Amino acid sequence: MSFLLSTLRRRLSLKRLQRRGGPRPKSGNGFRRFWSWTALIVGGLYFFLPLIGTLEFSLRMRRGEYSLDAYRSVLEDPRFQQTLGYSVIMALATIVVGILIVVPTAYWVRLRLPRWRPVIEFITLLPLVIPAIVVVFGYIRLFNTSSFLPMTGTTMGTNILLMFGYVMLALPYTYRAVDTGLSTIDVRSLTEAAQSLGASWVTIIGRLILPNVFGAVMSGAFLSFAIVIGEFTMASLLNRPAFGPYMQILGANRAYEPAALAVIAFAITWACMGLLSLVTRITRVGRAGK
Amino acid sequence: MSFLELQNLEKSFGDTRVVKDFNLNVAKGEFISLLGPSGCGKTTVLRMVAGFEAPTSGRISVDGKDITRLRANQRNVGMVFQSYALFPNLTVAQNVGFGLKVAGVPKSERNPRIADMLALIGLPDLGDRYPWQLSGGQQQRVALARALAPKPQMLLLDEPLSALDAKVRVSLRNQIREIQQQLGITTIFVTHDQEEAMAISDRIVVMHQGVADQIAAPQDIYNRPSTEFVAGFVGTLNRLTADVLDPETGHIRIGGSEITLGQPLPAGRVTLSARPEAFRLAATGIAAQVTKVEFLGALISVAAQIDDTPVSFVLFNGGDDPVPEPGSRIHLQIAPSRLLIKQAA
Ligand SMILES: Nc1ncnc2c1ncn2[C@@H]1O[C@H](COP(=O)(O)OP(=O)(O)O)[C@@H](O)[C@H]1O
Ligand SMILES: [Mg+2]
Repeated sequence: MSFLLSTLRRRLSLKRLQRRGGPRPKSGNGFRRFWSWTALIVGGLYFFLPLIGTLEFSLRMRRGEYSLDAYRSVLEDPRFQQTLGYSVIMALATIVVGILIVVPTAYWVRLRLPRWRPVIEFITLLPLVIPAIVVVFGYIRLFNTSSFLPMTGTTMGTNILLMFGYVMLALPYTYRAVDTGLSTIDVRSLTEAAQSLGASWVTIIGRLILPNVFGAVMSGAFLSFAIVIGEFTMASLLNRPAFGPYMQILGANRAYEPAALAVIAFAITWACMGLLSLVTRITRVGRAGK
Repeated sequence: MSFLELQNLEKSFGDTRVVKDFNLNVAKGEFISLLGPSGCGKTTVLRMVAGFEAPTSGRISVDGKDITRLRANQRNVGMVFQSYALFPNLTVAQNVGFGLKVAGVPKSERNPRIADMLALIGLPDLGDRYPWQLSGGQQQRVALARALAPKPQMLLLDEPLSALDAKVRVSLRNQIREIQQQLGITTIFVTHDQEEAMAISDRIVVMHQGVADQIAAPQDIYNRPSTEFVAGFVGTLNRLTADVLDPETGHIRIGGSEITLGQPLPAGRVTLSARPEAFRLAATGIAAQVTKVEFLGALISVAAQIDDTPVSFVLFNGGDDPVPEPGSRIHLQIAPSRLLIKQAA
């Protein structure tokens, strides 16, 4: 370990020397550049070829010419609008509930339970290793109509159950984002300064902590959004009319429309990512624009 | 009756007693410094007064009312931190007005108060800036204004100057003292810098391993330290060992020289402790050899050796005596009134 570190350090200082205008090993550099370009191109093809293929296919509904017929067909389908609307509302609820759970928890752990941080972090990572299908069957067993809390008995109850499932699925991303945001401020001093000025916990979290981790909260929110829009397993097993199951049904029954739908879903996800980086950049400029 | 009373205050973290039987009475409007080395429990005492730590035992009362169990946000105490702790998402004016807003003061009353506070700290035009746009000294002044804006009963400062550079440190400490006197606010100031504590305090509490060793005015702390620790921690102290040759006249031998102090001494060996300013150059007295001369402006600091014992003393620049050269042999007289004498073990 220490050997690795020292090697790394030596390489870094070598690099620094080179940047200062020392003699550069020209041929080695060109060689390295060739391989990094190759890697980039191969990676790009791997990502974009299927996408381009899908896009091209989605435009071929009309025989002999490119058209947007498949998109029109999808957008005019009332089930598309219903399921997308349902998933967007679920995503927004997931984001709000997620923030209400994650921000105070991460804050409290940093303020009062710093020793528990590794444990909490581990718990938030569990959704990555426990398959969603296992979780859903657990939910159904725990909350079925003959249980102590029969949430699956009503539509609203099932919606709420699904929403909490989504919150859990997004936990690894939201918790990490918020915790990283909190690490950039001096949580303890700010809290104590506010307390000595008479502030209550609600004021401290609402007016000081939340605004200061706003960028982090937003990136967590966009990730939650992307996860909820594309989620299939939970919505399908709980039998809710979400966007994920709709994509699956359409894919099983049509030829061109699923490709168009895939492109639309991709566009939504990418728009989320774009907004994410935009918001992060704006808040960062506002803060450390020095 | 004193304004703030700390009675038999104790604080333990696990098995470690960090503050031990701490007693302090602070008068209204008094400026008290808690002075001591790092880790001696100064911050812990201050945090108990602020309400961030609950005492293990003991009592804290303000104006006769017991506040030992009162929550921090109910105590109406202004706090200034070493790290400034300004709210990064709020402007300077919003920072200063935060306590007033929390207390429900309407905007029409809040704004003039904010303007007053910004004028008080000498930054009247910076209300719209954000904390990261200010220098460290400016940020700490804003933190002071923020703490004072809701008219707290007390002002608590935890090493507020430690993160600043030397020049700002001196000017800001004077500004803090001026504002404190202007408002007449009861203040506790934590520092590990004895010069800082000396310069601005009404009284100093010298702390050592969780205990208040001495509580007194700066001159008394310096001139009449009550324990060895206080004597050594505050100011420079020269320690010399001497053999008493005649206990009645105070005739002693230090190194190879003999001098008469003119006061009765215990027989045997004694330790003499003396501040740098207790020595002066003379034609006769204790023989010493100069090792180092340091020019400080008004004063000249001289290090010398009496046999193998190092001593340091100061001379006035422009005094009658010529400044000794390093390596030269000199003779020193000690003012007996400035000596602390102890029987050596
Ligand atoms: N929350 C805490 N838990 C355990 N030990 C602490 C805690 N706070 C302070 N201490 C210990 O108490 C001692 C005094 O600390 P502190 O009051 O901060 O000293 P000072 O401010 O004089 O440097 C130190 O040894 C410190 O390690
Ligand atoms: Mg401290």
